[in-house]
Parts: sequence; C-alpha cells; structure tokens
Amino acid sequence: MKRYWKFIVPAGIVVVILIVLMISLNSSLVYFNTPTELTEQAADGGRLRLGGQVVPGSVADTTAGVTFDVTDGRESVTVVHVGAPQQLFQEGIGVVVEGTWDGTSFHSDTMLVKHDETYTSDEGDYDPNHPTGDGSDEA
Amino acid sequence: MKVQTRIRWWPWAAVALSLVVAFTLSMISPRDDVQGELVRIMYIHVPAAWLAYVAFFMTFVGSLTYLLTKNLRWDRIAAASAEIGVFFTGLTLVLGMIWGKSTWGVWWTWDARLTLTAIMFFVYLGYLALRRTTDDPVARASRASVLGVLGAVQIPIVHFSVVWWRTLHQPPSIVRPDSPAIQEPLMLITLIVGVVAFTIIYISLMIKRIELTHLEDQLTEIEHSTDQPVAGEAVVVPELGARP
Repeated sequence: MKRYWKFIVPAGIVVVILIVLMISLNSSLVYFNTPTELTEQAADGGRLRLGGQVVPGSVADTTAGVTFDVTDGRESVTVVHVGAPQQLFQEGIGVVVEGTWDGTSFHSDTMLVKHDETYTSDEGDYDPNHPTGDGSDEA
Repeated sequence: MKVQTRIRWWPWAAVALSLVVAFTLSMISPRDDVQGELVRIMYIHVPAAWLAYVAFFMTFVGSLTYLLTKNLRWDRIAAASAEIGVFFTGLTLVLGMIWGKSTWGVWWTWDARLTLTAIMFFVYLGYLALRRTTDDPVARASRASVLGVLGAVQIPIVHFSVVWWRTLHQPPSIVRPDSPAIQEPLMLITLIVGVVAFTIIYISLMIKRIELTHLEDQLTEIEHSTDQPVAGEAVVVPELGARP
C-alpha cells in the first residue's frame, strides 16, 4: 500500500498547484481585450492589448502610420497606429494591437496580425508582386 | 558475444517515403487566400505538433503500464517516445516561430498556446534529465514513470488552450468541437496526409530507438559479464592504513 502513496501524494500536490495556477492565471491567459471590454473600462493610461477584426472601409493612411476601426461584432474602436502595418494587414483580417486607451481611441505602436484557422485556395488570382498577400485588393 | 538484435532497414525507407509524399503534396497544394505561400509551413508544423502529442501520449501509456506491471520493457518504450516527442516539440516551436514571424510579425509572444507549449518542452526535457539521475534501471524507471504519467496532463491543456483562452495563435483547424475549417479539398488532404506521414515517421523512429536500446542493454551486459575493474590496471587502489 505504501508505494501507492508515493505516487498519489505528489500527484495530488501537482493537481492542486495546477488548479490554483489555472484560476489565478485565468485573466492573464487572456492575450487581448475585445473592443466591448475596452469601451466598458475607464482609461487609466496603462498599456494593454486590443484584438478584433479590421472593419472594411475604415483603413486610412496617416503620415505616421495608419488608422482603422477594430470590431468584435458588437462594439468597434478606432485605432491610431504609429509605424508600418504588418505584411498581411488588410481589411477584414484579425489584428492584435498594443498601446494605450484614452477613452475614445486606441493609440498603438505594435501590431500583430491574427490570422484565423480557415484556409482557402486563392483560386489562381496570384499576383507575383504580392506573393504573400491575396493580391485581389490591389488589382 | 554476438549482437542479437535484428537491425531492420525498412523503417528508414518508410521515413524517406513519408517525407517525399508529404513534401510533394505540400508543394503542389494551392496557395492560401490570405497567407499565400506561407500556408505551406502548416503542412509540417501541424504534423510535427501531432507527432509530439502522440509521442508524449505513448510516454504516458508506457509509464502507467510500467507502474502497474513493473516490466522495464514499458519504461524503455516511455523513454524512447519522450526523446522523439522532445525533438518534435522543438521542431514545432521553431517552425511556429518562422510561421509567426512571417504572418503575425513576431518570432515569439507570451500567449497561452506558445507559453504552454514551451513549458511542455521543458517538462519533458526534465523527464530526460531525470532519467540520468541514477544508473539503477528500476529506480530510474520508477522516478521517470511518475513524471511520465503526470506530464501527460499537459497534452489536452496545450491542444485546447486556443479554445479555452483568448490567444494570438489561431484555434485548431481539424481536431476541434466543430467540423474542419479547411474547405479546399487539396489543402485538407495535404494536411491529413502530412499527419499520417508523421505518424509513420514516429512508428519508424520508435522501432529504431528500441533496437538501439536493446543494443545498449547488450553492451551493458557484456561490460558487466567480464568481471574486471572499470579502469583496468591503470589505477592502483590505495590502501588506507593497511601497511605497518
């Protein structure tokens, strides 16, 4: 019977640690905030991440970068991005931006493109000038 | 003493054939609508991650069976599988970084999937290190088996992390609550063939690794059967206080 305890005790400890970790880390395991969550919270000037889809038709170039709206389907937030957008950045794609929220718009200096899990063929509309993009919005 | 393990050639042939088929398909499958040519990284990244899951699951099965039966054969299977799993987890991480740099824009970020995969990599690296803490096969097997069983908790956590928490990494395309998210038949076939090919590679590597384990055991047996001091006559044993 003794040798089973050698296994059960550490196993129990590990499981308890895992559960405590999971519960306490649950909020920090969330990689980004949605526009809905952002609009519900006060602007405290802290750095955070915002993620959502780029609203088609909202993208405009600025001298310092690009502005666009990000939506989660319920709320949308205007993002003022400083710096070059990512290679795959386009209307309708998912993005995660890092920066500060001032209550009305999100000031970002870091952009990540969050592509989704769906894949479809580009049906041959291949543009050699944009080998990684879909080429259709340029043509 | 003659070597008594049969050295099989066909696992290497199976590995080569699997690689050729998977590589050819991944090159002729279509470009992705959004990612273009970059989608081809998926056809190695996903099968490599799959292989790592399978390997760590076999480590779990081997470890658990060892604890129940105390048959060292199962401990060897667990160990061989963990080595292969660590290699392919590393490969998954490296390929994921290359893919991430070109699509997300960063090599690395601390989202749940990436962080948990890195932890899994180091836990199983720890498993291999733990195996080297003693030469006694029975003590080694007992210690390693406990970690081999507990470590398997991570497999579902890593896989479903992208479903449970909001991450930068996209959710799974095939093994997920809904139907597969890949509509283009040739892309889906390429990915599935890749997964099958990597499963064959796993089985082949396991066969070769266990062959090697048998050879190692025979070598140890030979060393122990010739009853000589390890350093031969090069070292004279000091005699403390024996002489008058």
